[in-house]
Amino acid sequence: MSETLMTISNVSKSFGDVNALRSISLEIKSGEVVGLVGSNGAGKTTLLRLMSGVYKPTSGTVCLDDGTPVDKMRQRLGVVPESTGLYSRLTAWENIRYHSRMHGVSDKDSWSRTSRFAKHLDMLENLGRHTKGFSRGMRQKTALLRALAHGPSVLLLDEPTAGLDITSARTVRALVKQLRDEGGTIVYSTHHLAEAQQVCDRIIIIHNGDIQADGSPDVLLKDTETTTLEEAYVSLTQEKARPRNDDQDNEGRFTKWWRRLFTPRVPRYIEGDDSSE
Amino acid sequence: MNNGSFKRVKAIAKKEVVEFTRDWRTIIAIIVIPILMFPLLFIMFPLLLESEAAELNSIVVDVVIQSDEVPDSLLEQLNDTSILVYEENLTERTPLSNPGEDITRLRSLSIDAILRIEQRDDIWYYAIIHISTSESSNEARSRIIDGIIAWESNETERIISDEGLDVNTTLNPVRWDGEISQGDVATQGEQAGMVLSLFIPLVLAVWTFSSAIQPSIDMTAGERERGTLEALLSLPCTRNELLFGKWLGVATITGVGVLLQIFGLLFAIGYLASSSIIGIPDLSLEATALIILSIMLFAVMVVALELALAMRSHSVKEAGSILGPAIILIIFPALFTQVINLDGVENFWFAVPVVNVLLALRELLMDRVIVEHIAIWFGTSLLYALMAAYYAAKQFGREDIVTSLS
Repeated sequence: MSETLMTISNVSKSFGDVNALRSISLEIKSGEVVGLVGSNGAGKTTLLRLMSGVYKPTSGTVCLDDGTPVDKMRQRLGVVPESTGLYSRLTAWENIRYHSRMHGVSDKDSWSRTSRFAKHLDMLENLGRHTKGFSRGMRQKTALLRALAHGPSVLLLDEPTAGLDITSARTVRALVKQLRDEGGTIVYSTHHLAEAQQVCDRIIIIHNGDIQADGSPDVLLKDTETTTLEEAYVSLTQEKARPRNDDQDNEGRFTKWWRRLFTPRVPRYIEGDDSSE
Repeated sequence: MNNGSFKRVKAIAKKEVVEFTRDWRTIIAIIVIPILMFPLLFIMFPLLLESEAAELNSIVVDVVIQSDEVPDSLLEQLNDTSILVYEENLTERTPLSNPGEDITRLRSLSIDAILRIEQRDDIWYYAIIHISTSESSNEARSRIIDGIIAWESNETERIISDEGLDVNTTLNPVRWDGEISQGDVATQGEQAGMVLSLFIPLVLAVWTFSSAIQPSIDMTAGERERGTLEALLSLPCTRNELLFGKWLGVATITGVGVLLQIFGLLFAIGYLASSSIIGIPDLSLEATALIILSIMLFAVMVVALELALAMRSHSVKEAGSILGPAIILIIFPALFTQVINLDGVENFWFAVPVVNVLLALRELLMDRVIVEHIAIWFGTSLLYALMAAYYAAKQFGREDIVTSLS
């Protein structure tokens, strides 16, 4: 049986009055690809940020296999945020090297790993180019290379194929599969069920800050007595997705009041009141 | 700070500087402008003024003299100063300075000035009518006044002489004995220090603050807006390492800008000194070291404060709208400091934020090393720098800084 690499125990996360995640517990085992599936605002990114140590839980713990909280052992994590987070005035290799140095990895070791994966992603020729002119796909591939360059134990990917063309998305998925075959552990956030089914060994469905289901695609279908993952997802998430709350922006009260002061009310005809015209 | 921590801070600072130098607009703003500013101000500007003055001197101005009888000796004086004289009878007499009908001629610039002069009893009365918004009219007025002063001097000497008195003893009964400059015990270097102390602190303070604005915003709110901060925060570095690295990056860029500006200033002073316009200030080694220390403490405070305010902002636009007007916090105390009398200055001024460093710079540029003042400005500057650093650390520790608006 695979050993547990990351343990999330009773983790809750609140932003002001909004409970983004409610008492979540799960384990990430070595060598598995876990898909976090949910609609926008479900809590996927918040959970990934808790896993990467960027957020601290309001309650509960996120620990690695040796019991160390993740924010103390970030060198074992490889993170690709949704925005990729590349510096446009640096080359792809400089972006990768910068993160590797921060992880305490030598340039030589970093280059060795990067060049291997870059060949697979067809990015080797582009490593010396500034990322300013990169397409979304190239940026995503560079961010993946950057996350892999220091040899992480767990790879956290936040919607890695969002906004990619078909070819780029296929290449990214192929790399994830290759990493899985090599025994890598990956947590993969997406709202594409087909993609999750194709790539992930295990799918966690998050809805309104709660885990609705956790298991392999086959188990989910069996448990929900459905034939497709889409049907399974719908049956598990009947409730309407919650709207995003302004409080998550953490803006000051005066700033919000000022903005509202100069914001006109919605015209009545937009609200569907025909009598106004 | 352990070795790993130091390496991470160095990596952050290095990346910030490298990224910044790849933007040519920034290089112009931070490097080229500071180098050129003082030489342009102190060398090119006086040269331009000189050439403009020479051009003005070479023009011939048209002057109408209105008088019943113009003294020949006055006409001779005026003819020596490139004035084309037109004589007319005097029609406007009450008083002579009332422009009357002549206002139209002057406003249309058909003539440059009018000199009205008449003798009543033994006294000559005169008035010059001109239009002060015209350079040539001003020049005409100035030349007429020069001519009248010279003519008046001759007339005075003639009258004294006619009365049988000695012109020299009558006009100069009280005299300075020796060289006037010998009476000032301040050395040329000290005098130069005093002149420089009136604007160098102001320029240094304003430039340190303003040149740190752009990098501070770019490295905080800019990263936040571009979405690069989340990836950075997931790296194995503490928020304080991140702050220190970024502080080092901004301080390096700002420091280079300020240093280059000082070099530009010294070059300009060297040029002016060679023209004997200004001397080189006399600065002891300890005063020089204290100047550097005071600037460094000021830079620590300013950069930390700017980073904190920029990090607190949700966007580049918001950060700009906060830090731009915040320069008033430097300009007003800086202007205020210029008028504080350093002789017998109260000690509490050396504890007021910003004012303390500027006063310290003024004193030190005049080579006045007063231990009591140094203790106060050093202690308070250190305190303010630590407070700014604490505030910055608090802002960098905020969880919501990861939120990207893009």
